[in-house]
Amino acid sequence: MNEMTSIIEESVNDLFAEEVTPESIETMESGGFPEPLWSTFDGGGWTRIALSEEDGGAGTGLSGGYTLMRIAGYHAAPLPVVEAILGTYLLSASGLPIPEGLLTVALADQSPPGENNGRLLLPRVPWARHARGVVVVLPGRNGSTGVAWVDRDSYQVQEHRNLAGEPRDDVLVSSRKPAEEKLIHATSTEQVRSWFALGRAAQIAGAAQKALERTIAYANERRQFGRPIGKFQAIQHQIAVQAEQLYAARCAADTAIAHLGTPQEWECIAAAKILSGEAVGIVAGTAHAVHGAIGFTKEFALQLDTRRLWSWREEYGNEDHWSRRLGEFCLALGEDRLWTFLTAQTG
Amino acid sequence: MNFEPLTLDRETDLLRKEVRAFLSDQRDFLKGGYIDCWSICEPAFSRLLGEKGWIGMTLPKQYGGGGRTYLERYVVVEELLAAGAPVGAHWVADRQTGPLLLSFGTEEQKEFFLPQIVRGECYFAIGMSEPDSGSDLAAIRTRAERVEGGWRITGGKTWTSFAMTCRYVLLLCRTAPPGSEAADRHKGMSQFILDLESEGVTRRPIRNLAGEDHFCEIFLEQVFVPENRLLGEEGNGWRQVMAELAFERSGPERFLSNFRLFSEGLDFLRTSGKGEIGARTIGRLAAQLMNLRQMSLSVAGQLQAGELPVNEASIVKELGTTFEQNLAEALRGPLAIEPGVDAGERMSSLLGKSILTAPSFSLRGGTREILRGILAKGLGLR
Repeated sequence: MNEMTSIIEESVNDLFAEEVTPESIETMESGGFPEPLWSTFDGGGWTRIALSEEDGGAGTGLSGGYTLMRIAGYHAAPLPVVEAILGTYLLSASGLPIPEGLLTVALADQSPPGENNGRLLLPRVPWARHARGVVVVLPGRNGSTGVAWVDRDSYQVQEHRNLAGEPRDDVLVSSRKPAEEKLIHATSTEQVRSWFALGRAAQIAGAAQKALERTIAYANERRQFGRPIGKFQAIQHQIAVQAEQLYAARCAADTAIAHLGTPQEWECIAAAKILSGEAVGIVAGTAHAVHGAIGFTKEFALQLDTRRLWSWREEYGNEDHWSRRLGEFCLALGEDRLWTFLTAQTG
Repeated sequence: MNFEPLTLDRETDLLRKEVRAFLSDQRDFLKGGYIDCWSICEPAFSRLLGEKGWIGMTLPKQYGGGGRTYLERYVVVEELLAAGAPVGAHWVADRQTGPLLLSFGTEEQKEFFLPQIVRGECYFAIGMSEPDSGSDLAAIRTRAERVEGGWRITGGKTWTSFAMTCRYVLLLCRTAPPGSEAADRHKGMSQFILDLESEGVTRRPIRNLAGEDHFCEIFLEQVFVPENRLLGEEGNGWRQVMAELAFERSGPERFLSNFRLFSEGLDFLRTSGKGEIGARTIGRLAAQLMNLRQMSLSVAGQLQAGELPVNEASIVKELGTTFEQNLAEALRGPLAIEPGVDAGERMSSLLGKSILTAPSFSLRGGTREILRGILAKGLGLR
């Protein structure tokens, strides 16, 4: 890990440890906006982290942004960090101005875009109700990516939530298509979508880490039959498997982050979303099995991690979606080139 | 826990190409590639690899070694395994006995054994398990007693792969007086280099369920071992064995044992019109394989840096062998062919061999349960 990444890791960790409170999460879940957390986050310039240094970024490119997303996942931060960071990045890359305030992203790459009485319908847009506007990603000419800004004044929302209570709103734009569209060349909408999938994989790695830590702490503390339940081999082995799944998911996410901008970027992201999706069932399932009934309560914080894990594995493509695509890719390679492909990853 | 991604440098790329070029000329030895190829003994092939300088690569040049890094060895080994090359003869000597001799051996031992190992001519077996001591390795009973000029060993070892073809076995024995192990079971053990042609040694193959007989048992009746064949310090055996196991657990052989089934199975699906049915399965397995390789490489990098990533190695071994065992389970549905044992039916026999050898994958080198125990401790449980 390079020095800049460590600095990001430490600063963001401190920020979220202090500012992510039960109240801020409750505010989000009851439909409100956690203003104090957002002000600190935005005030620190963290939404611009993936931009170049001249534009206020950390000079790490997207990778620093993903470090931040993982830590946000660890703290269950009630903010759309993936959308805010990548949305800012997309605006910057397309040359559109970056407005003040919270922004979110809608991927309208899958044809044909939804329509409702001649108005563009964007389903399940994170935090659209609270955003200043939506960055809409559309297929551009010649495989490029179109980026357009839709201001809050130009859309209505129908409020929805995911399992974790995070806003996932249907957005109805007042026109058939956004007014101004700028292109990002040499970047396909498919690639843009994969960046969001990696964002969820990074968040899963963070939240799964927290779930594991809670599980170990609880197993060492909770006593039954005269000793901590963590002394029982049956419990130990379950937690060992839980940890294996987490570290596999974490390694896959880190590998994909390390391969951003390389020819293997897409395949590594696919692997990351597959492995993080696979890990969720076991990590969350074991966490709840070990915690027993207390972990099933709203009051106990484990649900903050597990409800997020169950939501995030589905968003931007679940493991079946990515497996099919990666599988088709491998089948097309055939036996001869498969091993070459596997070893080309990491040189 | 550290699995930081690692990137191999350019030089390993050239080495990889060299290995691939070599392997493309070795079709007679490869026979299309074996399942569980590191259990296939082919001394002539081992000697050929020795000539290429691909055995004992990390050993110093003064003993004939290559003076190369663990990562360079990694590249060579993964290429051999992916091709299904018969690397069983020299496998143990190359992977663990060589490095162990280098760490704990006397100068005489290093000068005598290492050059032979490097040439692919001197093969070692692992002398750990006994009939009453499997996962509970500290329960071994084979005992060495001091006599004039050396030691006399009585007892026996079992599940000793390749004992019929190996000249030597690295034997873990009790050397403290009987009864002393009650105080500390891990004390009073020592390792010996035993010449399997010594008087008093009886070897017997044990046929496994796949019909192979690389498994063996060894009976030792008052076998004399000269003083200069004690490895390391008397009483230090447990610590040495633990160091030996660290080399065993995180390598590419923990997820590539049946790679041929994956790569050829993929072609079979494609060419028989089952690509669509199999795509999801192939994609999932490919993702796991990509990641296992990265995790394993990360551990190799840490070993190269002089660290001892015990927990990480345990994770790689458990996830890796689970992957190997799951490979046939996952592919048999889309493949939809009957598993067989006849070499003439290539796909059927790859599947059959994978099913028949799968149970051993998670047993050798420490069972799943032992690994989970190590990991639980590493995570701060117990």
